Amino acid sequence: MIHYRTLTAAFWLTSFIASAQAPYAAPRTRDGKPDLQGIWETRNAAAFDVAEIAEGHEIPYLPEALEKEQKGNRVDPMAHCAMPGVPRANYLPFPLQIIQRPGLVIILYEYLHNQRLISTTPREHLDGIDLWMGDSVAHWEGDTLVVDVADLGDKTWLDSARHTHSDALHVVERYTRTGLDTIRYEATLEDPKTYSKPWKIALTLHRNTQPGFELREQECTEGDDGRAIQPQYRPAPKGDPLEFIRTYPSKSEVSK
Amino acid sequence: MKRTWLILAFAAVTGFAQSSAYVPPRTSDGLPDLEGIWQPRAGGAAYSILPHPGGFFLGAESKEGVVEGGALPYQPWAAAQVKELTQHMEFDPTGHCHYEGVPHAMYFSFQIVETPKYTAILHENMHAWRIVYMDGSPHPKDYSAWMGDSRGRWEGNTLVVDVANNNDKSVFDMAGHFHSDALHVVERFIPVDRDTIRYEATLDDPKVFTRPWKMGFNLKRAPKDYLFLESGCFEDERDQQHLVNGLATLPKDHYKQ
Repeated sequence: MIHYRTLTAAFWLTSFIASAQAPYAAPRTRDGKPDLQGIWETRNAAAFDVAEIAEGHEIPYLPEALEKEQKGNRVDPMAHCAMPGVPRANYLPFPLQIIQRPGLVIILYEYLHNQRLISTTPREHLDGIDLWMGDSVAHWEGDTLVVDVADLGDKTWLDSARHTHSDALHVVERYTRTGLDTIRYEATLEDPKTYSKPWKIALTLHRNTQPGFELREQECTEGDDGRAIQPQYRPAPKGDPLEFIRTYPSKSEVSK
Repeated sequence: MKRTWLILAFAAVTGFAQSSAYVPPRTSDGLPDLEGIWQPRAGGAAYSILPHPGGFFLGAESKEGVVEGGALPYQPWAAAQVKELTQHMEFDPTGHCHYEGVPHAMYFSFQIVETPKYTAILHENMHAWRIVYMDGSPHPKDYSAWMGDSRGRWEGNTLVVDVANNNDKSVFDMAGHFHSDALHVVERFIPVDRDTIRYEATLDDPKVFTRPWKMGFNLKRAPKDYLFLESGCFEDERDQQHLVNGLATLPKDHYKQ
């Protein structure tokens, strides 16, 4: 009797060989590059725990980094409406749209209107700057778009399970069309201050095939829902400029 | 010929032009090529769209402002509200890191990307973006957004963008100029020469103004080495005390009706 697991392995091996033998021929853009354009979304729970899509489901933390993480900030920066960073932006439960122009790949994220303008002209990463979404430089390796992301700073998390990184994080992303409605996304995360070795995540980006589907606005600010900024005609504070901060109406007051 | 001279004379007097003799090159898709990074010459419009002196925040003094005629046709109740809002700069939503909305977002650098189905406008400030569908599709129903909803078309070489579905929270500037959710904006991007676009917007909001009004300014192509950078903004930046009474230095007759 053949073990179920052996069968499964055989199935995956067969499909792997099949896919290796006949790679998907991606449609081309006008300038001859694989066409990654469209609205894409993930169908996994990596936003809550990135280990779900990590190779071996494990993140190779250095002991001291793990200890630092336990003692660190317990509030997800995204709870303060901070930008999610890379790769987290790619597996949030919101769609993203890829646009290609000669020498340029643009990723627009529905959540918090994040945007990445990615040049496919090689250049050095920016020096002396940290960006929430990092600095992305791309090139094509065959049919795969390879995006090198640095300058990510240490403020973003990888998920809402408090998996963190340091300002040494370096991400290499690989986007490959694998079918009419799928992109294989892989990323290698390297951060010698946090992880004992580089580690990989992988997921499938599925095309949103709903007719007429468009990205909408997903705004986020603290004390959210906009009510806090509705004009409340209170006398302007006189004298002490900090009085405003101290007397600013609480959310419950404003919503009355 | 006579008509052309009349238009030119009108343009010369008001600075407003509806079209231009310049024919831009075409993109690989055959569209008028307005692609690139553009920097507005909006004379401190983010500070106030009306004529204003130099200010603490954006510095630039503007004797003209960007509004045609230099005044806004507010209904009386709205004029009173603007005066009040001027004293409450802390309620400026951009100070709380909200989207600027349109046309407010146009006072800052942005990039135009064209495809046959849509034109993308990527705003550097607040990392905002708009996808302007060019396929004749209507504005969505039951949708309200800070940046509204943009649908566009080409009129000759001019990109025309119709912006609806605006919410009533975005504002025109830091000086308290505001609108309601009835705001409807028609933007015109008129190519003037290789490095210049004339930006004009007609704004209609029957709940707040007595008639439609216009604003306009030039956009200049950014230098080749301009690097489009991330502009992150979120609250708790601990500088709000600077906003309180920030406009108190404006002269009392600033808001002429």
